[in-house]
Amino acid sequence: MFLLQEAAASFAGFGYMGAGIGAGLATIGAGMGIGRLAASSVESIARQPEASGDIRGAMILTAAFIEGVALFGEVICLLAVLIK
Amino acid sequence: MSLKNFLLLITLSLAVTVGYAQHDGHDDKPTHQEEVTHDDHQQDGHEKPTHDGKSEEGQKAHPEGDEGNDATEEDEKISDIIIHHIIDNHNWHITDLPGGGEIALHFPWIVYSNKTGLVFTSDAESLVEKGMVAVHEKPYVLKDGAASHIHLDHHTGQAHMDKKQMAEYIDQDAFVINLSITKTVFQMLLIGFILVLVMVSVARAYTKREGEAPKGLQSFMEPIIMFVRDEIARPYLGEKANRFLPYLLTLFFFIWFANLFGLMPFNSNIAGNISFTAALAILTFLITQFNASKDHWIHVFNTPGVPWWLKFGVPLMPIVEVIGLISKPFALAVRLFANITAGHFMVLGLICLIFILGQGGNYAGGFGIAPLSVGFTIIIFCLEMIVAIIQPFIFTLLTAVFVGMAMETHDDHH
Repeated sequence: MFLLQEAAASFAGFGYMGAGIGAGLATIGAGMGIGRLAASSVESIARQPEASGDIRGAMILTAAFIEGVALFGEVICLLAVLIK
Repeated sequence: MSLKNFLLLITLSLAVTVGYAQHDGHDDKPTHQEEVTHDDHQQDGHEKPTHDGKSEEGQKAHPEGDEGNDATEEDEKISDIIIHHIIDNHNWHITDLPGGGEIALHFPWIVYSNKTGLVFTSDAESLVEKGMVAVHEKPYVLKDGAASHIHLDHHTGQAHMDKKQMAEYIDQDAFVINLSITKTVFQMLLIGFILVLVMVSVARAYTKREGEAPKGLQSFMEPIIMFVRDEIARPYLGEKANRFLPYLLTLFFFIWFANLFGLMPFNSNIAGNISFTAALAILTFLITQFNASKDHWIHVFNTPGVPWWLKFGVPLMPIVEVIGLISKPFALAVRLFANITAGHFMVLGLICLIFILGQGGNYAGGFGIAPLSVGFTIIIFCLEMIVAIIQPFIFTLLTAVFVGMAMETHDDHH
């Protein structure tokens, strides 16, 4: 038991590392999602410029959902760093 | 119309940003911390095994984070400074004066607990006489006779305690409700008051100048109100839009004003407080459920097109649907909270970079990074100004979408 606690104490820095890696992964996911979203919205606006208003609305809404998931990741990383 | 509107707002935002960037340099707290945080972490690490079970419980009971700091620690860490700027506070601290004084507004403590009853004091120091103590902005009930052991910080009137001391002196079973008007609450009331002033004057202009072209503040607000009505309410709520327009407009302007005030110097970021966003999300949830059509409830508890045993034998579908109902407002609350908090963290982190590199009298490092830091902060601020208007838009839009979805009847599907 003592050994375990000692080990946990010396590996405390791994929490910070985990938070950093987690933030990075969340950012990669959100970046890929929003990138795909933007690519196809721009493509569809180019195909049908008269529908750009509707497409923009749908794009912002979907971007908010994708970003929301990334922000969940960010909140969890913050908790990992801040709660001792 | 909407795009022009956005551009106007961004231009206005930039004017405020420049003002704030100058203010940011004033933060003199980090300059007096000479020790790097490295040593503290090691201390923390070695102390952990000495904690007993009791202190573990204390830690679990108050998971907000900053209680775990060392009591002996004199110098604040950078992360503590950032957190101090983000979290709620019982005084509105504007600045420290060079002579040792400070410019601050202290709010009274109004705390209820089942052990002491309702306690009303003017400052944190006098809480001890009533059997309570404030630790890191949070009130706790003291155990009998513990009052003489408590050392209060003469500056804040609060105690610094580590987990062990918390377990020793504080009654963990007491049920405490903090009803104080804190910085966030005060800021919220202030924003509400300003919002009422602005909107009442705009509304009065319509009755006074009926049939004429809008003028002044009225012509600034009109396109935004029209935007909420035409781009958010009407497409998703249809003919019932007017019924929900007051709520949607209130949401939009309240969150927008909250975000803008949060970016201004000396103000508190109330949208970066999970309680604030959660309250708004709960309101949205209640409005959605109370306006739901019969088909909405049928869809939740007797989902069409699903085998009967998934609904009544193994009630998997109703559970999934109810989770879906709750997760929507939850996501709404976390999205706004995380967006605003992340922005403030970025700004504070970039500004603190100056003091991290300038530690121990390293003026070259501090002055070297300063232009870069301020430049990046301005960029982040421009982004935050866009976020400040995008987030209320998304919150309002999603509210309209959720209410519209719940109100949908079976006939609307084709």
